[in-house]
Amino acid sequence: MTAVIDQVTSALLEVRDLEVEFDTYGGTVRAVRGVSFEVHAGKTLAIVGESGCGKSVTVQSIMGLIPSPPGRIVGGTAKLRGKEIVDGVTADGEIVRGSRIGMIFQDPMTSLNPTMTIGDQIAETLQVHRGFSHSQALRLAVELLEMTRINEPSRRARQYPFEFSGGMLQRSMIAMAIACRPSILIADEPTTALDVTIQSQILDLLRDLQQENNMAIVLITHDLGVVARMADEVAVMYAGEFLETGTADDIFYNSAHPYTVGLRAAMPTNRDESEQDLMPIDGSPPDLFAPPPGCAYFARCPHAMEACRNDPPPGFAVGSGHMTRCWLHHADCSRRIEDLHYAAAAPLEGRDA
Amino acid sequence: MILYTIKRLIQGVITVWFIATATFFAMHGVPGDPLMTDKAMSEEVRKNLDAHYGFDQPKWKQYGIYIGHMVQGDFGISFAQENRRVNDILWEHFPVSAFLGILAITFAGLGGILFGALTARYRNRMPDIVIMFLVILGISVPSFVFAALGQLALVKLNAFFGTSILPVAGWGTLSHMIAPSLVLGLGTMAFLTRLMRSSMLEIVSSDYVRTARSKGLPTTRIFLRHELRNAILPVVTVLGPSIAAITTGGFVVELVFAIPGLGRYFVQAVQQLDYTVIMGTTVFYGAFLVFMVIVVDLLYGLIDPRVRLE
Ligand SMILES: Nc1ncnc2c1ncn2[C@@H]1O[C@H](COP(=O)(O)OP(=O)(O)O)[C@@H](O)[C@H]1O
Ligand code: SF4
Ligand SMILES: [Mg+2]
Repeated sequence: MTAVIDQVTSALLEVRDLEVEFDTYGGTVRAVRGVSFEVHAGKTLAIVGESGCGKSVTVQSIMGLIPSPPGRIVGGTAKLRGKEIVDGVTADGEIVRGSRIGMIFQDPMTSLNPTMTIGDQIAETLQVHRGFSHSQALRLAVELLEMTRINEPSRRARQYPFEFSGGMLQRSMIAMAIACRPSILIADEPTTALDVTIQSQILDLLRDLQQENNMAIVLITHDLGVVARMADEVAVMYAGEFLETGTADDIFYNSAHPYTVGLRAAMPTNRDESEQDLMPIDGSPPDLFAPPPGCAYFARCPHAMEACRNDPPPGFAVGSGHMTRCWLHHADCSRRIEDLHYAAAAPLEGRDA
Repeated sequence: MILYTIKRLIQGVITVWFIATATFFAMHGVPGDPLMTDKAMSEEVRKNLDAHYGFDQPKWKQYGIYIGHMVQGDFGISFAQENRRVNDILWEHFPVSAFLGILAITFAGLGGILFGALTARYRNRMPDIVIMFLVILGISVPSFVFAALGQLALVKLNAFFGTSILPVAGWGTLSHMIAPSLVLGLGTMAFLTRLMRSSMLEIVSSDYVRTARSKGLPTTRIFLRHELRNAILPVVTVLGPSIAAITTGGFVVELVFAIPGLGRYFVQAVQQLDYTVIMGTTVFYGAFLVFMVIVVDLLYGLIDPRVRLE
C-alpha cells in the first residue's frame, strides 16, 4: 500500500504503517491500524476525524506516551530526520519527547500540575533538557510566557494554574511545549475545551509561533473549520485508518473519499443557506474490537458496493500527494468519481478558492 | 492565611468550650457522688471542697466556678490520689502519651505513603496483592488484638533468641517504644495505605502526569514532583482524624504495654470515678485534638497552594 504513497525524502518526521492495540477486559482494541504520514518543516498537518477514531493514540505512540499495559505498538516505525524513534528517544540517543517534539493537550485546566507554579513547570523542561540552573530556566520561562502573549509574565510565572483562565493555561502549555525550540509541535485538540473567541486567539498564536520558528505543527481536531483555517496538509482518520490524505485544497475541493464528503456535508459554515443543508452522517463508527474485514466505512457509506464488504481497499493515488482508500478509484469501477460531489461545494470560511 | 489561622483558632476555642460544658454536665449526670467514697471524709475536708468547687451551690454556679478555674488553667485536685493536682498528672504523663502518639503517627504516615505508592506502582501484581491483604487485616482488627498479639510475638522472639531483643512492656528507652508505637500505628497505617494507593492510581493516569511525561522528564522527577506531592494531599487531610484515632487507641495500648501515659490514668480515673481527673483529661485531650486538627489544616495549606492563597 505504501508503494502508491509519494516517497518524499525531505520529511522531518516520517511515520510508516503504525499499528497500536490496547488489551481491555472486552478484548483487544485495534486503535490504530496501519497509519503512514509525513510532517514537513514549517507546515501544518491536520489529522481530522470523529472522536475515538485513534487520533490521540497515533500521536501519543510517536511520543512514547502510550500507557503500557494496556497499550502496545504492534508495528510500524517513526523516524525523525531519518533516525528511528523508540520510547521518545532516537536511535542515537537524541531526546525527542519534550525536546525535539513538544506537545499540548485538549484540556489545559487539567493538564498542568496544580501544586507547582507555572514558571517552575516551564523551567523544568529547560533544566532537564538544556541543563540550565533553576534561576536561568525561570528567566527564560518568563520570556516564553511573554512570547505566548501573557501580560505581566514575571508575576504570572510565580502563580499557580488555578489562578489562570483556560486560555491563559493553554498559552502556558504552549510556552512549555516550545521551551526547547522543538522542530515539531503536536497539538491534540488544543482549542476544543475553550471558548470560541479564545480558540481563535490560540490558533493565531500557534500560526505566528510557527512562522517565527519554522516549526512544523501536527494539529489534531474533529473540527473541519479549524482544519480549513490552519492546515497545509490533511489526513482524514476513521476507525484507526487514514482514509484520505492530501493537501488542504485536495481535501476540501477535490474530496476523493465518501467519508470526507460526508464530513464536509456535516460541517456548519457561516452561510445561512448552507445551514439547512447540514447532513450528519448516519450510523456510528465500527467496533474496533472486531474491525470490518473490508472497507471500514462500509456500514455508513452511501456508495458501498459488494466488493467493499470483504476486501479492504488499498490506498489509491488520485493526484500528486493525494491518496484515498476507496474502491471507487479502482480502474475497473464503473462509478464516476464526480458522483461523489453531490454535496454543495460551498466556499469555506477562512480559505480562498 | 493569617486571617484564616485566627479564624480557625477562635473556632477551636469555641469547640473546646463545648467539650468542657458537655463533660461537666455529663459528669453531673453520672450516678454516684464522687465524695461518697469508702474513705470517710472529715467535715473539714468536705467544707474545704465545698468552698473550692461550690458543691453546696446550684449547678449553674458550680459550672461557672468550673469554667473559671479552667480558663485559668487549673484542673483541680485528684479525688482518688492523695495530694496530686490534675495539672501535675497531665504534666507528668501527657508527654509520654504524646511521644508514643507522635511515633505511631509518623510510622503510620510514612508507612502509608510508602506502601500506598508501592501498591499503586505494582498494581494487581504480587506486592500489591500481599500488601492489600494485610491492609484489610490492619483495618478490621482492633488495636487491643494487635497489642496482645504483638506482645506474644515479642515473648516468642525473645525466647527464640535467648535474649531480650525488644522489651515486652514498660517505658523509658527507645527499644521500649518500638513495639507499642508500631502496634498503635498499624490500623491507621493500613487505612492511609489504602487512601494513598487510590490517590496515587488516580494521579498516575492524570492529564498533568501525561504532560510531565510529554516533557521528557526523568521518571524519578515525575514521581517526586508531579505524582507524590499531589497524591499525598488526601493523606494529609485525614491526618487530623487519624491523630484522634491514635490518641484513643493509645488508651488501650498504654494499658497493655504498661506505659505510664495519660491514657492509662484516664482509664484508671474512670474506674475510680475520679471526678476532676476525668474532666481535666477529657478537656485537655479535646483541646489537644482540636489544636492538632488546626495544625494539620495549616500544614495542608502549605502543601496545596489552592488552599493557601484563598
Ligand atoms: N488507555 C486505553 N485503554 C483502552 N483503550 C484505549 C486507551 N486509549 C485509547 N483507547 C482506545 O483507542 C481508540 C482511539 O482513542 P483516541 O486515540 O483517544 O481517539 P481520538 O481520535 O478521539 O483521539 C478508542 O476507541 C479508545 O477506546
Ligand atoms: S470502499 Fe466502498 S464502502 Fe468504502 S468508502 Fe469506498 S465506496 Fe464506500
Ligand atoms: Mg483525542
